[in-house]
Amino acid sequence: MADERIVEVEGLVKQFGGLTALNGVSFSVNQSEIFGLIGPNGAGKTTTLRILATLLLPTSGYVRILGYDVVKEASKIRELISYLAEDAGTYRNLTGYEYLSIVARIYFKSKRDVEEAVEEAVKVSGLGDRIMDKMKTYSKGMKRRIQIARALMTRPKLAILDEPTAGLDVFHAQHIRDIIKSHVSNGGSVILSSHNMLEVENLCTRLAFIHRGRIIMEGEPQEIKNLYGASNLEEAFLEVLKKWEGLGL
Amino acid sequence: MGRLRPLVEKEVKDLLRDPRIYIGLIVPVIMFPIIGFAISMATSQATEAATRELTVIVIDEDGTESSGKFISLLSNVGLKVIDAGSKSLDEAVKSAEKSGSKALLVIRRGFEESLMRFGRVNIEVYSIMRSMGFESIGVQAAVGNVLGRASDVLSSTLISKIAPDVDPEVLRNPINVTEYTVVKGRIIHAPPGLIFGQIVMGYGVMIPVFLFVLAMSVAQIAATATAVENEEKTLETLLTFPVSRYDILLAKLLGSSVVAVIGGIIFAVGFMLYFQISLGGLGLNLEIGGPLAELPPPPPQSYVLLVASLILAILFMTSLGVVLGALSSDVRIAGSLQGVIVIPMMLPSLLIIYASVNSLPLPLQIVVYAMPTSYPMIMAREMIFTPMPMQVLYGILYSAALTLMVLYATSKILTPEKLLTLQHRIKLRRMKRRAGRDLE
Repeated sequence: MADERIVEVEGLVKQFGGLTALNGVSFSVNQSEIFGLIGPNGAGKTTTLRILATLLLPTSGYVRILGYDVVKEASKIRELISYLAEDAGTYRNLTGYEYLSIVARIYFKSKRDVEEAVEEAVKVSGLGDRIMDKMKTYSKGMKRRIQIARALMTRPKLAILDEPTAGLDVFHAQHIRDIIKSHVSNGGSVILSSHNMLEVENLCTRLAFIHRGRIIMEGEPQEIKNLYGASNLEEAFLEVLKKWEGLGL
Repeated sequence: MGRLRPLVEKEVKDLLRDPRIYIGLIVPVIMFPIIGFAISMATSQATEAATRELTVIVIDEDGTESSGKFISLLSNVGLKVIDAGSKSLDEAVKSAEKSGSKALLVIRRGFEESLMRFGRVNIEVYSIMRSMGFESIGVQAAVGNVLGRASDVLSSTLISKIAPDVDPEVLRNPINVTEYTVVKGRIIHAPPGLIFGQIVMGYGVMIPVFLFVLAMSVAQIAATATAVENEEKTLETLLTFPVSRYDILLAKLLGSSVVAVIGGIIFAVGFMLYFQISLGGLGLNLEIGGPLAELPPPPPQSYVLLVASLILAILFMTSLGVVLGALSSDVRIAGSLQGVIVIPMMLPSLLIIYASVNSLPLPLQIVVYAMPTSYPMIMAREMIFTPMPMQVLYGILYSAALTLMVLYATSKILTPEKLLTLQHRIKLRRMKRRAGRDLE
């Protein structure tokens, strides 16, 4: 079961007009895995995640999530995933509780399931009494926490998280990492993107370096570090880049 | 329906709590009565001030016993008369302006002579206009009223001299006309002018104005609701939920329509209060009953057509609003697009308030018939006399087809793939235009 492929990406190409954002990306994500996509700005991380989330269509190549094709079976995939955009906002005039409740009612049919999911999400968000306040009064960190809670309360088979801890302080970032780990220990899988190498090193079971729309390295964090004799992922990433671009720094 | 309900709930709650929306909804019900009250106060006070003490200066060029009696008559029927003595017209005008008199009357030479010959006599009235307010109109009306009463007294005196046994009023108006109006075989005890006025005011103006505002509101609310999703970056998340694009679109349409109908009702209440207060202050009777109540009501099928055309118009405008909102990266851009696209589109429908569509030039008729919003307005106008107007029947079919096309196109646009590309193009175009202006 642990080796079950949750995500299969093969030769993925995405073009926006004349711009090639992804150029033959291939990787896979297994059951109960936290898979990290690392890369500089504009490398293609968000585009990849948006395609997985059925928001964008691939120009060519194929992407399957839990065996379903993202182009032909997008509606089935949406039942199984949840997506957290990097700059996901909130409905200013709804309270956190109302928002969670509305989303839960979209995903669950029975009242009991809805109540359980909302209760769990309220706990996960850690917002306490502020959950009853309108979300326009929330800080950036609070908004991010409610979004993480929203994304994971639906118990998705695959959570697609774009920079889940971006802009958060150390305390809240750690809180969110714990939530992600807990989700995986309960049987879910996660694919996330991040700029924070330390976070990826500690959180992800496997990762891929993406640069200019191509995967230039894929493996477990320790495996990659060993391969390049690096003490941390940041060093390894720079080594990979050097090799890739043929630069002699 | 299970997944649609929470989406609609989200739309309605988020919209009704948005100050950009609820302030717009509340303002008419507060502002219209205030404006009506202000107009009513201003007009009634001005009229009262104008007629409180109506002082006029009189130049009596005739200087006969008859002209003297006429001046006394003016005093008896309500004027405070000041004799200008031997002043010239210019001097008397200056004197009238200085003394605060409201008008100057000149009784020309030959007054008595004409009167004795039973000929017409000439009185010149110079109204002194001191402002552009209602007071000036009030003065003119009050002087005219006094002169009319004096004229009646004069004519009665003359008629009594010639024929003492005849009632002067009968001689002046020998025909007694009692007017009735026949509408769809029913005799109504009121002149056609009154009926027409009430129908035009009610079915021809009030209802179309209400429908116009409703159509504008629904487009504006839908555009705002969708643009807010872009502005607050919530649309992307919404589109990954396990709901179809049609459900998202339908939720937007229903949510915006519910809020717009609430807004429309509030507007209608405000509008009615405005008319009640402002026109009521002028002493006009605004009762809906009376002769209008005697009119045969439109048959139920007319209401069915009205409701059907109205629903289609609302759906069409909401879809249009969703498209504009979806293409806008923020509410400000949505507002600009609405000003450029929706308002010009709606203007032809306004023509229906002023004229029958058939009386318009052909190009304008085509423009009016092209807009689904025109049909509920046409229906509201025509339903009293024509229960099933053919142009509305065809219009409903046309509107349904057009609305379905717009809905389909809107659902296709509601994909990030399309939205990102279209928004990017619009942004690029705006940047190019701005750069062009900067270069100039």
